[in-house]
Amino acid sequence: MSCLLRLVALAAFSFMSVSGALAHCFVGARFMPATLNVDDPCVADELSLPTVAMFKNGDDPSARETDISAEYSKRITEAFGVSFGATWTRLRPPDGPNASGFQNVETMFKYQFLTDAAHELVMSIGLGVEWGATGAVSVGADRFTTFTPTFFIGKGFGDLPDSAGWLRAFAVTGQIGYAIPSSRSTTTFGTDPDTGEQTIDVEFNPQVVAWGGSLQYSMPYLKSNVVDLGLPDFINHLIPIVEFSLQTPVANTLTSGTVTTGTINPGVIWVGDYFQVALEAIIPVNHASGSAVGVMAQLHLYLDDIFPTSIGKPLFGGPVTTRTALGG
Amino acid sequence: MRKTKMIAWLPMLLLAGAVAHAHAMLDHANPSVGSTVTSAPRSLSLSFTQNLEPAFSTVQVQDAGGARVDQGKAQVDRANRSVLHIGLKPLRPGIYKVHWRVLSVDTHTTEGSFSFQVAQ
Repeated sequence: MSCLLRLVALAAFSFMSVSGALAHCFVGARFMPATLNVDDPCVADELSLPTVAMFKNGDDPSARETDISAEYSKRITEAFGVSFGATWTRLRPPDGPNASGFQNVETMFKYQFLTDAAHELVMSIGLGVEWGATGAVSVGADRFTTFTPTFFIGKGFGDLPDSAGWLRAFAVTGQIGYAIPSSRSTTTFGTDPDTGEQTIDVEFNPQVVAWGGSLQYSMPYLKSNVVDLGLPDFINHLIPIVEFSLQTPVANTLTSGTVTTGTINPGVIWVGDYFQVALEAIIPVNHASGSAVGVMAQLHLYLDDIFPTSIGKPLFGGPVTTRTALGG
Repeated sequence: MRKTKMIAWLPMLLLAGAVAHAHAMLDHANPSVGSTVTSAPRSLSLSFTQNLEPAFSTVQVQDAGGARVDQGKAQVDRANRSVLHIGLKPLRPGIYKVHWRVLSVDTHTTEGSFSFQVAQ
């Protein structure tokens, strides 16, 4: 793992020298970075590789879990895109045995239907699909497919009056989705080790409200649109952020219960011309969500800036029309 | 070993990106963003992080009442294509709002706005 992190750090810092601008999810003067635990509200060409998370999960007893994931997002048109994600998981329960394998493949189809530059407001709708039986059961991958229609929103506060001062550098994002499993229950057949009799275990697959968001403070925005304090260049590229991602079972909850689980993730994102680097803590909201503070890090590449004339541009169509201060 | 291979090509990907151009963001301005100046500036300069396309890069400066106080067309500096200049009409003490919208040479459009104040 230390070797992996060193290589990622090398890749990141090897290009600090070309930093200076921002890229990617722009809404007027506002740039919203790619977030780690929730999705950003924009459609874009981007690659998160890798995202590494280490934490103690909510199993009973809690297992040490390491997730290494990748996500590739591609614009089909300027406002419609699709992303593919895969996660490799290693589980180390306190009493063993260890397990490792891939989680189910995930796909998100997203349509960015509103981009209001003047008010730094963006909205999207999407359909997330976790494809059942594409991952390993040993790491908890479900055998059924789950569909999650989701609404995304992002709002910057740069349209506040000038008297609001430094508060104008704040922005929030949010998302709410409804996860619907393709199968109401999962039946597992086994054998009682004591009696040798066959056992049947039925687990109901709940429908879940998945909700989350982020509160972010943009130092780049502060410098370019509010006040240039003459801070060091490195500081002017930082976006301190707090994310939260929660899941609340709301239907078919006979075996799952209705306890909300999830994490809160305070951290910081450094944004450059062509990539961003993020580091966040993983704080479980309750014991069912985990038993200790974990950590996650991500290298995220802006493909639309790295390859603006090839794989970084939409397959079809022209740019989205936005309302601007100059009427453009 | 496979993980190592997966990560090892990332610097190559980033190297490929070094020849590309990113969005043009405002690096600094004169008068600077959010500043108070004691004498009225006769021009405004905006320095961006990328070279600009002159035909699609514009600036407007307005007084507190919304009236234009710039001289019209902004000019990209011939010696440094990442700098945009625009002349200003004689400014009275007050707060002025700058709106800019530029196109970088890789066709990415960016925009922003800020205020500066001319002191009494």
